[in-house]
Amino acid sequence: MSAYLRSPLKAVTIGAGVGLALFIVVLLLLVVSHPTLDGLISSLLSSEIRFAIYLSLATSLVSTVLCILIGVPAAYALARYDFFGKHAVNTILDMPLALPPLVAGVGLLLFFGASPIGEALAMAGLVFVFTPLGIIVAQFFVNVPFMLRIMRSTFEGISPRYEYVAKTLGCTDTQALWRVTLPMAANGFLAGSVITWAKGIGEFGAALMIAGATRMVTETLPISLFLNMSCGKLNLAISAATILIAISVVSLYVFERYGGWGRL
Amino acid sequence: MLQIANVSKDMGEFFLDNVSLEIQDGEYLVIIGPTGAGKTILLETVAGIYESDSGEIYLDGREITDAAPRDRNICMVYQDYMLFPHLTVEENIGFGLKSKKVPAGEIREAVMKYATMLNIAHLLHRYPGTLSGGEQQRAAIARAMVMSPRALLLDEPLSALDAKTRELLRRELKSLHAITKTTVIHITHNFEEVFDLADRVAIMNQGRIVQVGKPEEIFRKPKDRFVADFVGATNVFKGVSTVTDGLAVVTVDGLEIRAHPAEEGDVYVSVRPEDILISTEPLASPVRNAFPGTIRDVLHVGAVVRLTVDAGTEFIVALTRQGFEETGLDVGDGVYIAFKATAAHVFPGGNA
Repeated sequence: MSAYLRSPLKAVTIGAGVGLALFIVVLLLLVVSHPTLDGLISSLLSSEIRFAIYLSLATSLVSTVLCILIGVPAAYALARYDFFGKHAVNTILDMPLALPPLVAGVGLLLFFGASPIGEALAMAGLVFVFTPLGIIVAQFFVNVPFMLRIMRSTFEGISPRYEYVAKTLGCTDTQALWRVTLPMAANGFLAGSVITWAKGIGEFGAALMIAGATRMVTETLPISLFLNMSCGKLNLAISAATILIAISVVSLYVFERYGGWGRL
Repeated sequence: MLQIANVSKDMGEFFLDNVSLEIQDGEYLVIIGPTGAGKTILLETVAGIYESDSGEIYLDGREITDAAPRDRNICMVYQDYMLFPHLTVEENIGFGLKSKKVPAGEIREAVMKYATMLNIAHLLHRYPGTLSGGEQQRAAIARAMVMSPRALLLDEPLSALDAKTRELLRRELKSLHAITKTTVIHITHNFEEVFDLADRVAIMNQGRIVQVGKPEEIFRKPKDRFVADFVGATNVFKGVSTVTDGLAVVTVDGLEIRAHPAEEGDVYVSVRPEDILISTEPLASPVRNAFPGTIRDVLHVGAVVRLTVDAGTEFIVALTRQGFEETGLDVGDGVYIAFKATAAHVFPGGNA
């Protein structure tokens, strides 16, 4: 104790950190311990929450796959090649990170609802406004920068000489990427996928704007939490929150385990 | 034969400026030069990693300037091994043959052959991260050699290793080359590697090949001031040369140094410190250069002692520690220094 008295700086700064951690734990415990166990279980089994779980899993998995399909190649290009406008592209691609999701949602709504491209897509049967497709697009748009940043720094951390050697040993560019660089990027890929997926499951603002909050139609877990909270169905709201907390804790563990923070 | 003809490549900080070089089949060519001289880009351009801006590269008379790396059969080994960390040593060594869709049985056989040759057969199931530096570099060399490459490019292959391992692996490289007769281009900063391995040595500076020749030639007859400084000929003097009796007589600070070849005008003359004899009596041997002087400084460098002798101009004289102690010389003593005219090498550029 005397050591802390001698160094007020140490006492204050450690106090701030530990206090904040305690606050977070208390909040989480309050949420999960609020309903009775029976109430929680019956809510989890209710058709509404089961729908929300299903919709959240389906949309987040699809949006994560999209983030991988587009984010990984883009990250590779930014890490390996020099091209005109690279710096601008880099900055613009980080933009969604700083943009409030609600604003992103408005943009998406205008693009898919009111632009010629959106109208053409709708004519072709791809309706994004007020549908689960809108949720996928919202999750993709808000979270692709995470995938991109993590994979970019992962690729930057792998010497291009591995690919050079692979090419002198008979590989084409693509084979060298596939047989050498991608396997070496596995940890970053895992960390990126997990954080993209977890953030996708929790995505609310942009999804609310483009897909709306319609019970049993665009009701993902966060939307369910929002809907049930606003009409006082506390047990349903809390079970949705509990699942989101569980997903956050597990994905945070996986993310840290595979060095995600260092790459972000 | 590998021919590099007038190859230029500009990568900003590093560049090649009109490089031409011919490497004979089975030759071991060592390239030395200061950091940033363009040595690594030269190898990477020969391997096909970079396209040259101009010039051509031929392998056995076939132009390969624009060929993809995989179509050249030229393999590369880097200083930091670049073994694929997610593959075992066996999978690493067999990587290239697998690319070429060689049957698994033949791959195993070939991997075993080179692993045995390089003493890493017992490590085949291990992952690179668990190996020592020397073991990793052996695996990287095996990975290249298993392809029976037309040329093997080694980019400072021994520089990351400790002194003992470096010497061991240097000998293994030498015997591997003796057995396989592979054409090798080897980059290094280490003069021991030059003397031990090189059939010929090329000196690079600022993207250019400055001088190519047998190691002896480069050290005894540096072509210009840069090469002389770089290879460590410490006694380099600027003077004016006239030709007498087929020898150059270079006047340096009033001293007349007899040297060769017989070139006139403003020149440099260099004498290697270990080629200078020192004694307290005038030397009776038939040497062509003998000057009285005074010891100004004594410097112990490991097993060697370097004396600074003022004989009108300052000469560095190298003696073994034992040789120095036997003479009993010290700072301030009057001495005689002497060296043969054949030990003093003239190269042009004295007015530069």
